[in-house]
Amino acid sequence: MRDTFWDRIYDIAKEDRDLVLIDADMGAPSLDKFREDFNGRQYFSTGIAEQNMIAVAGGLAKEGKKVFTYAIAPFITSRCHEFTKLNCGLMKIPINLVGVGPGFSYDDSGPTHHLTEDISIMRAIPNLEIYCPSDNLIAKRLAKKMYCSENPAYIRLDREILPNLSDQNGISKNREKIQAGFREFGKGDLAIVSTGNMVHTALEVQKYYSDKNIPIGVLDLHQLKPISEEFKKNMSGYKNLVSLEEHLLDGGLGSIIAETIIDNNLLVNLKKRIGLVDYVYAYGGRKNIQELYKIDEKSVINEIDKLIN
Amino acid sequence: MEKEQIIKLQRKANDFREETLDMCIDAGTGHVTSSFSCAEILTSLYSGNILKYKSDEPKWDKRDRFILSKGQASPILYVTLANAGFFPKDWLNTFCKKEAKFGVHLQNTVPGVEYSTGSLGHGLGLGAGVTLRAKIDKKNYHTFVLLGDAELQEGSNWESAMFASSYNLNNLTAIVDRNGYGVLGATEDIVKLNPLEKKFRSFGWDVKTIDGHSIKEFYEATNNFRDYKRGKPLVIIAETVKGKGIKSWENKALVHGMAPKGEDAIKLKGELKKYSSRGEYE
Repeated sequence: MRDTFWDRIYDIAKEDRDLVLIDADMGAPSLDKFREDFNGRQYFSTGIAEQNMIAVAGGLAKEGKKVFTYAIAPFITSRCHEFTKLNCGLMKIPINLVGVGPGFSYDDSGPTHHLTEDISIMRAIPNLEIYCPSDNLIAKRLAKKMYCSENPAYIRLDREILPNLSDQNGISKNREKIQAGFREFGKGDLAIVSTGNMVHTALEVQKYYSDKNIPIGVLDLHQLKPISEEFKKNMSGYKNLVSLEEHLLDGGLGSIIAETIIDNNLLVNLKKRIGLVDYVYAYGGRKNIQELYKIDEKSVINEIDKLIN
Repeated sequence: MEKEQIIKLQRKANDFREETLDMCIDAGTGHVTSSFSCAEILTSLYSGNILKYKSDEPKWDKRDRFILSKGQASPILYVTLANAGFFPKDWLNTFCKKEAKFGVHLQNTVPGVEYSTGSLGHGLGLGAGVTLRAKIDKKNYHTFVLLGDAELQEGSNWESAMFASSYNLNNLTAIVDRNGYGVLGATEDIVKLNPLEKKFRSFGWDVKTIDGHSIKEFYEATNNFRDYKRGKPLVIIAETVKGKGIKSWENKALVHGMAPKGEDAIKLKGELKKYSSRGEYE
């Protein structure tokens, strides 16, 4: 997902000499091209100094550069949060923040590299758009969307290689929805709303119920802020919703859905928010951590069983 | 620089102090002492033909960029900008009031202000970005960033200092208003900044230390700032006095961020008048 995103940005950068990438000492094959072809003009590194990266980006972007910044997700969000608030929220400087490895993407790296509160803290910044793609197809589209936007944006890119979701639900079928920040897979009285890697878990749960002739929908919300009118309308077509996230419940996806329902007087019921109640780290791989937190497929099925039985 | 010009600018700096004090007394707030330590620096930059700017075209692309990182000194910058013609002087009468165009910390919605500052440790990195853009696009503007000295206790400054020298940002000049005081007292009694010159040198900067209240010395320190044969960014450590001009508040702890009230206000205005008319210009 990371390489797909940066490959797209690289192609745009070839056409637009004002596109500048700044990273905080990040390695990736897709970034090698930037260093080789654009060093000293469109590519810079601040070293391991995320605060300075966001400050420098503020200077460049206000002078007219289209700036993308890149670091490991916890460090591009929490470490430099106040500078982002001032640059993007207060002064509306259109900087793009690209974070790799949200949730438990860096599973065995441990708690310093886990990130389970970024949606909460980043959505508190005014003017900042927030994206979370679930596969390469969406990541590629979001790269262009962020480039074209006049607003600042934060995108959280999963580190895990996730399969494209187009095969079972053609991308063309979802084209208008994708432009409005989401995809819809299937239908039913109930839908699971999810984002990023957890959309894949939601689809596994959907398949489990489908095999039992119980149709449920899955909404893949990749534009977490702003929530589009189309998504609100689509969400309202369901009777009940369950949200699913690899993120703290405080201020995360479930909160976004609950607030959207209340603030817009929508009639749909959010019956359950599934996510992290608190944070305790563990090792043994991402699946193991998800089981521990009860956000794995089996735990989600247990929760939904309670709702539909 | 001719002595007459220095005297003229010195008078202007004191006029700016008086206008700043009046504005803060009227509003009942504002960082008077932080403003007064950098009066000569701002006056020289804006009224002494150091900065290139067009007050009727604040976004003029060829302007030099000035970033007041110590955003709490906004009162005297607002006075300086109003006198330079960036906006009507009667805006100053609204400082911090309901109808105000600006308040205690610096806002970039005001003509002539590049960035909203007040969160210390932010300005040098912004300035590095602005300067880097000039390098990339071969623009001739110069960037000045005015820092507070206690502000240098924020680690982000040193990230930016390393960055600026690593990318040879010789079109960047930082000025440190070395008034020696934070809120609680002297920086050297709290978290030491010295040896400050050595610190900047070791971070790859050229360093000049001057008397920050001497317009002559400020001119000498900046006389060749567009000489880009120099491969490094330049920092001018301007040794100043916090609250310069109001004797009873000079170098005084715990008056940071305050405007005098009642009898204090009358007393300090009198002290400033006495200082302004002392005739010891150099």
